[in-house]
Amino acid sequence: MIIDKKTGQRYAGISGNSQPAFLSARRNIVRALVILVIIYAVVAGVFSVKFLPHSNGQPLRLEESSDYTEDPVQLPVIKPLSTKQEVIDLKNEEIRLAEQLLRDFPDNEESLVVMGNLCYRHGDVVKALEYWNKALQINPEQASVYKSIALLYMKKGQFDDAVTQFRKALEIQQGLPDVYVNIGHSLMMSGRPKEAIEALQKEIQISPDADFAYFLLGQAHLQQKEYQKAQEYYEAAIKINPRYSNAYYGLVSACAKLGDRDKANEYSESFKKLKSEERKHLKGRKIEYDDFVETQKSAAITYINVGRMYRENGKLAKAEELLKQAAGLDPGNVVCFLELATIYQIKKEPAKALQMYKKISEIQPEYPLSYLVIGILSAHLNRYDDSEEAFRKLITLAPKKSDGYRELARLYLKTGQNLPEAQSLAEKAVALEAIATNYFVLGWACYTNGDNAKALPAIKRAIQLDPDNQQYRLLYKQIQQRN
Amino acid sequence: MIFSGGRVFGLSIGRLIVVVPALLCIWACAPADGAIVFSDVTKETSITFIHTDGSSGQRYIVESVSSGLALFDYDGDGNVDIYFLNGAPLRGAKYDNAPTNELYRNEGGWRFTNVTERAGVGDTGYGLGVAVGDYDNDGDLDIYVNNYGPNVLYRNNGDGTFTDVASHAGVANGHKVGAATHFLDMDKDGDLDLFVANYLDFTYENHMIRTSKGIPKYAGPMDFPPMPNDLYRNNGDGTFTDVNIESGIAEHKGWGMGGVSADFDNDGDTDIYIANDEYANFLFQNDGTGKFEETGLIIGVAYDLHGDDQGSMGADCGDYDNDGWLDIYQTSYAEELTALYRNLGNGLFEDVTMVTGAGAGTMEYVTWGNSMVDFDNDGDRDIFVACGHLQDNVELYNNTTTSFCPNIILMNTGEGKFIDVSDQGGDGMKVKLRSRGAGFDDLDNDGDVDVVILNSRSGPTILRNDSPSKGHWLQVRLKGVKTNRDGIGAHVKVVSGDLTLIDEVHSGRGYQSHYGMRLHFGLGNRDKIDRIEVRWIGGGTDVFENIAVDQLITLTESGSEIGPR
Repeated sequence: MIIDKKTGQRYAGISGNSQPAFLSARRNIVRALVILVIIYAVVAGVFSVKFLPHSNGQPLRLEESSDYTEDPVQLPVIKPLSTKQEVIDLKNEEIRLAEQLLRDFPDNEESLVVMGNLCYRHGDVVKALEYWNKALQINPEQASVYKSIALLYMKKGQFDDAVTQFRKALEIQQGLPDVYVNIGHSLMMSGRPKEAIEALQKEIQISPDADFAYFLLGQAHLQQKEYQKAQEYYEAAIKINPRYSNAYYGLVSACAKLGDRDKANEYSESFKKLKSEERKHLKGRKIEYDDFVETQKSAAITYINVGRMYRENGKLAKAEELLKQAAGLDPGNVVCFLELATIYQIKKEPAKALQMYKKISEIQPEYPLSYLVIGILSAHLNRYDDSEEAFRKLITLAPKKSDGYRELARLYLKTGQNLPEAQSLAEKAVALEAIATNYFVLGWACYTNGDNAKALPAIKRAIQLDPDNQQYRLLYKQIQQRN
Repeated sequence: MIFSGGRVFGLSIGRLIVVVPALLCIWACAPADGAIVFSDVTKETSITFIHTDGSSGQRYIVESVSSGLALFDYDGDGNVDIYFLNGAPLRGAKYDNAPTNELYRNEGGWRFTNVTERAGVGDTGYGLGVAVGDYDNDGDLDIYVNNYGPNVLYRNNGDGTFTDVASHAGVANGHKVGAATHFLDMDKDGDLDLFVANYLDFTYENHMIRTSKGIPKYAGPMDFPPMPNDLYRNNGDGTFTDVNIESGIAEHKGWGMGGVSADFDNDGDTDIYIANDEYANFLFQNDGTGKFEETGLIIGVAYDLHGDDQGSMGADCGDYDNDGWLDIYQTSYAEELTALYRNLGNGLFEDVTMVTGAGAGTMEYVTWGNSMVDFDNDGDRDIFVACGHLQDNVELYNNTTTSFCPNIILMNTGEGKFIDVSDQGGDGMKVKLRSRGAGFDDLDNDGDVDVVILNSRSGPTILRNDSPSKGHWLQVRLKGVKTNRDGIGAHVKVVSGDLTLIDEVHSGRGYQSHYGMRLHFGLGNRDKIDRIEVRWIGGGTDVFENIAVDQLITLTESGSEIGPR
């Protein structure tokens, strides 16, 4: 039994794990972060401050960016659902949208997947399975769909079927994360701990920080009566996740069976403490006695998925409308803001894109990458103070990564301010990560500060690392000319 | 002469009407070798009981968890009778006639007569759990009903009638939401004490409804505060004293559901196991004097293998692997496996559900009544699981499961594994209702164990065991003299050649139900019992030797009496 830590609701789930991340918020956030990384690469390519050749060795101000007089994005404010009828209406609207998508893209497997996922979220797993299977008929090379089907079988307790589907996913995409661990879990649940161990070992090779895989390895060895090994794996899980209550429970079992009652008692105290802390989240649960909020959030996912399809097929206006609606339904969902930012970048509306990234940073203030994009976009829009602030925030949040140091250096070089600091920042970036772009910015900073002796080796190293980059070669030429 | 005097091959015509279709069904269904087969004989029984949960659309949580049933021989005629608990109208519900618990007298030949009124056991309270035992040691079986509201103790007057003496006895237990209840002799003083589990602290004022995907549904146990359980010591004069504080029971609050009291550590006293809904299960270990220590976590029965709370429902015990120790089987919520906790004999249990296959087929359903019984008399205990979703509209928001569903039979292979043979289990296993309590006893005295299931908002299901017999059997009824009269808590060891079986008499077990006072042992091809040992609770150990198989025997304390029935 799994209890929703926020709402206290009883819902069923596969034990030992907080439900496979099936179409869950976690999965969407992971996807969002992947998208953010991709977007960063695009933004950095399109909007980043570029070195321009000049003759007098002085920093040049770049051409002013175009006159961005974009109206701010108006996002709808949608009231929380408060009646059953509103819930029904919203769910019907979701279905209408997904059906429209099927009509607009009748032979597109993605629209079938969108509909399948929607059915799943609405609890109609029978239809979900139908749509997913139709999607596979059109394109059998969809690992994620096999994975979804497999997780559904797990939920139904059809573990052999689940393993078959997971293996199909692996045939398409070897090394897909979370698959071997679920194969291992399914094998465990169907009483095959020995085979489970093999699968779980593969998972920890792919994902060395997979605490659940280590925990399950403990479980599998426990079932094999290999208590010492079980103990070691539980301890490994706890090393990764010190608050892993299930792993402490495993340690209680293993130590008790090893005859070490004192240790078992000690671990049982830790387990009880963690359990009791987990249960504290249930306090106040009676305030939210329905799942209307969750239903609204779930609807936002449909709007996002449908919006994304339209965006990917060039129907930007339609996509924008749906994604704005998603943002209204779930203002805490970063994916809709990322999708909107993507649209604004395609439409070359950087101010609007910036507005979306600022929203993301409000939702996830501790996530560094959004500050990187905010900094770059702000610089592009000549909002240098905002840009500097964002890069400094990035350095604070990710002091061991070079991006913040490098981009702040680049900003100073562009604006001609704090040039000695720009050089120090660039040096720090190189010290942290010896990559081409860091050497390039260092070369640029040294050159600008008149330190050609340092500039030359830096730019040479950048070219060595990325020989095709024309910017680097231009700078190299300039440094040579000055010499 | 084939046909004479209304009998064919020694069977009455009436019996033939029952037997022949069953045989035809067995033949037609062509069960795989080793299958366990049940026939649905509900219609033949004349039982008219319809369970009500007292609902009116308000979704009060108590509706979702009622009720249990009891199988016992109330009139001492050698036939096991049936007592169904019933719900009662909750706020907003109206009935022309108040629903009552109903007692059905077993007339033999699968005919039952409603004797509720005559017996005076038609309680109109909201029935949840039930246990049966001779608390006043007067030689007949009394009934304790654990209600939502005041509880009832029906003292058997010995003439087929009962009198509610709960208030006089001091066990009405206030106005709580009840759950399982057990009679046990916790202090080995020869009379039966009473354990009363409580589910949660529900009132109309703290009632709530939840939604899933916007669809209304019953709230969960965690939406209500937990309750401690209650324990009453028998004063030996027809009254009881509340000892839940001094016994250590009250220290532990939970969300009690089913359970069973048994001697899990084999130290000669009775411990108490209580399954908690979405919370750690309790094993109250008895020190022999009626003082208990809760040890569930450390001994390994509080959580499932992974250390997660289960939506634990019913629990029963039995020695599934014939190693001489009582193991525990426990049912649970949907999308969880049921749990089989193997007793390692060293004070620890291990969850062997997955490696034994004891959870096969259970994950789709909410599971309730259960027991480990040797249905095919092959010398090892199989498992029956009663299923039915708690939410009556679950399909609207999650159609991985269904509200109405079939029950499950898991056959013990004899090698430590279970196989789901439900699909080959005859028409009795095809019934799809919303099962709750279940009881297991030999209703037709033919040497195999039949099944009675209480279904929520519906009539019961009566299943006749028509399994192709794999062997001999023995049924044992105990008769205490110094110790409690029905040997509740007594430990019985049966040795037949290479086979050693154990069991105990339990009062209150499974999902808030009571059954199995005559112990049933399947023997396979062994045709003689070498030895039976009975260790009486609070008494000595008696040994009986060289006993014939295929009979019901009564073993009397001190070995003074042994005989059929």
